Amino acid sequence: MLKELMKKKDASLPCEENTLSNYFAKDHPDEAKWADCVHCGMCLEACPTYLETGQEQHSPRGRVHLIKSVAEGKLNVNEAFADPVFQCLDCRACTTACPADVDVGGLIEEARGQVRQAMPLRGWKGAAGSFFLKRLFPHPNRMQTVSGLLKLYQQSGLQKVMRRSGAMKVMPDHLAGMEAIMPEMKASVQKTYKNVDLIPAKGAVKARVAMLTGCIMDVMFGDINESTIHVLTYNGNEVTLPKQQTCCGALHVHAGDRDTGRKLAKQNIEAFEDAGKVIVNAAGCGCALKEYPELFKDDPEWRDRAEKFAAKVEDVSKYLCDTGYVKPESRIHKSITYHDACHLAHGQGVRHEPRQMLQDIPGVEYKEMKNADTCCGSAGIYNLTNPEMAGAVLDRKMADVPEDVEMISMGNPGCMLQMAMGVQKYGRRSEIVHTIQLLDWAYQKDEQAAGKKG
Amino acid sequence: MKRKKQNKVDPHIRSLTKIVGESEILYKPEDLISYDCDGFTVHKALPKAVVFPKNTEEVAALVQYCHMNHLPFLARGAGTGLSGGAIPLNEEIIISLVKMKQLLCVDYENRQAVVQPGYVNLKLTNSISDKGYYYAPDPSSQYVCTIGGNVAENAGGAHCLKYGVTTNHILGLEVVLPHGEVIEIGGEGAPDSPGYDLMGLLTGSEGTLGIVTKITVRILKSPQGKKTVLAYFDDVEEGSRAVSDIIAAGIVPAALEMMDKTAIEGVEAGTFPVGHPPDIEAFLLIEVDGIMAGLEEQIEQILEVCESWNVREVKVAKSEEERSRWWANRKTGFGAMGAISPDYLVQDGVIPRSRLPEVLKEIEKISRESGLRIANIFHAGDGNLHPLILFDSRVPGETEKALQAGTACLKACADVGGSITGEHGVGIEKKEEMRFIFTEEEIEAQLDIRDVFNPYDLLNQGKLFPKPSRCMDVKKIVKDTVAVQS
Repeated sequence: MLKELMKKKDASLPCEENTLSNYFAKDHPDEAKWADCVHCGMCLEACPTYLETGQEQHSPRGRVHLIKSVAEGKLNVNEAFADPVFQCLDCRACTTACPADVDVGGLIEEARGQVRQAMPLRGWKGAAGSFFLKRLFPHPNRMQTVSGLLKLYQQSGLQKVMRRSGAMKVMPDHLAGMEAIMPEMKASVQKTYKNVDLIPAKGAVKARVAMLTGCIMDVMFGDINESTIHVLTYNGNEVTLPKQQTCCGALHVHAGDRDTGRKLAKQNIEAFEDAGKVIVNAAGCGCALKEYPELFKDDPEWRDRAEKFAAKVEDVSKYLCDTGYVKPESRIHKSITYHDACHLAHGQGVRHEPRQMLQDIPGVEYKEMKNADTCCGSAGIYNLTNPEMAGAVLDRKMADVPEDVEMISMGNPGCMLQMAMGVQKYGRRSEIVHTIQLLDWAYQKDEQAAGKKG
Repeated sequence: MKRKKQNKVDPHIRSLTKIVGESEILYKPEDLISYDCDGFTVHKALPKAVVFPKNTEEVAALVQYCHMNHLPFLARGAGTGLSGGAIPLNEEIIISLVKMKQLLCVDYENRQAVVQPGYVNLKLTNSISDKGYYYAPDPSSQYVCTIGGNVAENAGGAHCLKYGVTTNHILGLEVVLPHGEVIEIGGEGAPDSPGYDLMGLLTGSEGTLGIVTKITVRILKSPQGKKTVLAYFDDVEEGSRAVSDIIAAGIVPAALEMMDKTAIEGVEAGTFPVGHPPDIEAFLLIEVDGIMAGLEEQIEQILEVCESWNVREVKVAKSEEERSRWWANRKTGFGAMGAISPDYLVQDGVIPRSRLPEVLKEIEKISRESGLRIANIFHAGDGNLHPLILFDSRVPGETEKALQAGTACLKACADVGGSITGEHGVGIEKKEEMRFIFTEEEIEAQLDIRDVFNPYDLLNQGKLFPKPSRCMDVKKIVKDTVAVQS
């Protein structure tokens, strides 16, 4: 049966000269990427979906094998191919485990692009996808006014969870007070600094940096953006928030919509053209920005611009560790563990810096989490598209979270929502916080203390 | 994503589904592609189905069904084997044991643990290390390979020089025989049991005599101290002479590994580079362990030997972190070849240590003549060579060339009184080469043993032994290893 499949190519697929067998010519997976894989299997135990299913096609090397099989004409871009390719969390743990550094994540994203070319999403899934990904996320003004996302947020029970895990207790008094009367949606920094071109540094100016405010981040976690700005300026950085910036496009690329991904990438590349550094506080966005060159393989001019842009992108924790930051003096008496966001640890190799920051805060009792760099199941919108697998992955994660910690810190909004669900599901009391918030709160306490003295 | 149900399902598939449940079987051709090979990628073929039993009873029921219906079948663990032991040659039913992955019990008092076959090798050490114990056999794939697979292949590893291979650490087995009967052998920690050593026979039988469903293994107290040294040589021959002399001096290092220039190029291009000097010809990775007192002395003795062979530089690991980095660099060596070559074929020859220099020269000659690069990573201490033949399967004819070069390497090992496999097994890959070390009668005698357990040859058919001239009508030698699907 398969022999027939192997011989007969799907007539509906275009077969141009430069196509890789059963792939569309446009944007096909990069042969050089899978040529690195020698099928050794060292990735297996790193893969959350393999651990869950035990099935090869849901393992990194299995997926690479399938991607290669399409190029060899043994398989078509059909549902049997789409299933394993979309079950992948795109967590990149395999890339860390791989002895040959095979870019499985990149291959998966390219393969998803092929799936969406061959099988465009139709019906309600297509409509919902296009609503969120095309009409909402890329438009900051709509993000702020449209309540669609908020409703989803509330209906899914996430809001309750986040309220419960509210991190008010360690905040300086005035902020905690404000928090109590603040509506759930935090103030977007794009709104707050609408008429400000440059947010000044405190004290001597060390550098000027531009910040990606993100789409979801700025609407749901405006306070984290505010914390990031505060920590940056506190450490002598002038901060700009380029107005033309847009959604990073990570969710689009993950979903196989590479055309929209490219459109957004171009807009961001232009928006940050004058910036020396692009600082990001969301791991998923940072990773996507760094991978913009992947989107322009066939476009030398934009590839060049994308490479220059990518070189400027830095996660806020890495930037602060590289350029130095003031160690806070005020104490935050909390036991804290750290969860590695996949796109920070595996995607950008940032592991040590956030831990360093936490441990530099006096009073923090740091506890390392077992398997800290294992995916929590958030994976962009994976927890919405593949809730069952995401739930299973979350269960595994929660088993590794020390039960007695007061806070779980991380550097990615998607993980924060997912981990908050985990905390609620297991009746834990831990608060979910962004690493940069803790440093910010310590600084604010320092400022309060200095104010009282002065 | 749900797919449309096929109306015509093979009746065998229906029966197998009844045993394991609908979610635990794969049979659609597209779903089977990922099971067309294991870590040996030169030969690919599809199974009829893959089933995922959850316990011994299901394994036994599956085996009984296959036996009654004359369906060929085989067992598979993590599929990291390097000789093709888990590749279906006859549209087998693959019985995947990855869902039987429990650590059933640990008995510290009697220093033993019971695991299911799908339990991952390194997990055992990780689960008992806080109590100061570990499981000794440490194949390079230990991060992912299963102990069941280790038993089938009698897996070795870097530290087997001092501690022995898998068979030295197995105390008991629960086995499903090829007709579905479940037996238990061994179990108690007795040094010897009356009757034939069935456990010795089963261990390393490459899945041709039965399917192991429960394993009692020996666990060891972690050594009090470890010292690890990297010794860089400007000349491979001098490095190999040092290996011989270390052993001859009566030192038994826990591990004594060697890598040559091409291998070093691979690992340095991979994910776990150490920063080895780029211009050296070879390095030795030497580890001694045991009671703290005396380790220093052993290291000094080793260094003396290395110096007598003009070692360029010697480094002692300063921390556990540095030591793990060196080992990660070594243990991911095979996979790292992907960074410098699209495909590789690893051989697994064994030679007397004293013959290392001449065999390495011979391998170099094979490389020159075939025009293929060959990297050498090996357990130098026990003379177990792993020539890695680098090739590109997309270039017509290169796969065949690589296979021929592999055979030539094994011939070179056999010619100096060595063997064709040290730890990877024979599988599909080396069955013809069995003739280098066994006569027709010796092969025949072993097939007679197989027939006692596996009379209809339904279990892992076509592995381990060459297609013999056992009946006149099957006299054609099928060169199926060369019949690469393209």
